[in-house]
Amino acid sequence: MSYRSSVEILTEWDIVAARQLGRNEAKEVGFGTVDQARITTAISELARNIYLYAGKGKIEIERISEGGKYGITIIASDEGPGIPDVRKVMEDGFSTSGGLGAGMPGVKRLMDTFKIDTVVGEGTVIKATKWIR
Amino acid sequence: MNIQVVIKEEENLVKAFISGEIDAFTAPMLREKLATVQQKENLQTELEMSDVSYMDSTGLGVIVAFYKHVNANNGHVKLTGLSTRLKRLFDITGLGEIMDIETDDKGGNK
Amino acid sequence: MPQEIEKQYKEILKQYLMKQTERNLYEGQNFSRQLIKKNIAPDEVISIHKATLEEMFPELPMNVWNSFDLLIEMMIRYGLAHAEHQSLLQQQEEMKVEMDLAAKVQRTLLKTTRPKINGLEIGLVSVPARKMNGDYIYFLSDNLNNAGVAVADVIGKGIPAALCMSMIKYGMDSLQDVATDPKKVLDVINRIVEKSVNDDMFISMFYGRYNVENSLFTYATAGHEPALFYNAQNDEFTELHAKGLLLGVVANVSYEQHAVTMEAGDFVVMMTDGVTECRTDEGFIDPKIVITLIHSMRHEPAQTIVDSVFKELEKMQNFELRDDFTLVIFKKTS
Repeated sequence: MSYRSSVEILTEWDIVAARQLGRNEAKEVGFGTVDQARITTAISELARNIYLYAGKGKIEIERISEGGKYGITIIASDEGPGIPDVRKVMEDGFSTSGGLGAGMPGVKRLMDTFKIDTVVGEGTVIKATKWIR
Repeated sequence: MNIQVVIKEEENLVKAFISGEIDAFTAPMLREKLATVQQKENLQTELEMSDVSYMDSTGLGVIVAFYKHVNANNGHVKLTGLSTRLKRLFDITGLGEIMDIETDDKGGNK
Repeated sequence: MPQEIEKQYKEILKQYLMKQTERNLYEGQNFSRQLIKKNIAPDEVISIHKATLEEMFPELPMNVWNSFDLLIEMMIRYGLAHAEHQSLLQQQEEMKVEMDLAAKVQRTLLKTTRPKINGLEIGLVSVPARKMNGDYIYFLSDNLNNAGVAVADVIGKGIPAALCMSMIKYGMDSLQDVATDPKKVLDVINRIVEKSVNDDMFISMFYGRYNVENSLFTYATAGHEPALFYNAQNDEFTELHAKGLLLGVVANVSYEQHAVTMEAGDFVVMMTDGVTECRTDEGFIDPKIVITLIHSMRHEPAQTIVDSVFKELEKMQNFELRDDFTLVIFKKTS
């Protein structure tokens, strides 16, 4: 049984709304302040990428549990141009050079698991999960 | 480590005024600038180099690549204003034999 | 473990708030070293600080607690930047190891045997500016009457130059006959190079061959620095010029070939532009210095000459080579 809520990303202010939703969910699931801030940063980054590169998309937050563990999965999806070279975006130093901030490697570091599905011309779906320690 | 490239197009002639040092750091910039014009058919070009204070083999590579490109498209490359030092580089490498080169004293500028 | 860190931090903070001595600060700094080693991010450190304060001074106003949350939020990016930096450092380390291995492979691949010919001394020094050498020396000899040497310089330095080099090696390997004329050698290599390189890539090469029977040094050059010939009887240097285009520019080039007769005490100096274009922060070292240096050593064995010239020029450049440095001397002793 899972509980899912979502925010559409169309304008820059939707990034803030997605952050807010993520922080609230993280708090309710029981994450500490630092982890709340980390999850929010990851959401921020994913939402920003949608806003900048896909134009529109959505951020969904899912509460999850497994074997007595609780956590959160962020699902960022868009129907944008897709990422032609995933390995390159996952490289350290790539995002920094473009001045984009934390970028994908940052999101991966902030979360416990990170999965990316992308088709050029069709869009991208990124799923990232963090468990309460 | 500075280079300046100003390109002026006059009817049939493309003139590039190059000044500064052409080495491993600045050569990519020169290559980029020249690449913007080298695709044209029958291109007549002149590279004005009297303010080039230094050029190493990387720079020579860029000039040779440009020369090959322009020649392949039935164009012509002329180098002008070469200092004694640069002229020596073109002479030693044998490029002086196949390229159209005018030295500083013949060019009359400076 | 987090509890352990919190406990230690609490102790350090308590001591500092009580005494505020330099020693307390020193301990704090040592503690941060430990935190970095354990990969504790800066946002976490602030969170520990906040938790400790909450325990020690629960009565502080709400504004103070809230301000920490803003600080934590901001520090997350610093933490990420730090983690990225660490990972880049590790990648750099891996690349260094790879480069060392590649340089070793290159050294093995490009190994060449110095000819042993009666009455001829050969001196050789070749030092890369970086790990991989863009200069190349190849000896071809029957170890009886003929000693040939190719001195090549690939444009640029480092890995691209090194990769290009194997091409020359295999080209030269295909020519196992030392009787092949220098101009023919250059022609063969030029055809190979022209077919295989980018437009902006080229190689300069000098090929010279000494024959014992007639004491002739025969040479040809493909856009390479001219070699220097030292005539002992007249005590003078002349440049050995020959017309010839760089390798890899045009497919069909006819190379000129010339020869000089060597007498005892005469020698030929072959080099790359790392020798003639020595650069320091103040500018170029006058190429005449190279000639003066060699002249002052003219009575020494060939290897001593090249070694001391290298040492001297290395010193003048403050032990910082900007280009690969290669110097070869063929000296007729009898």
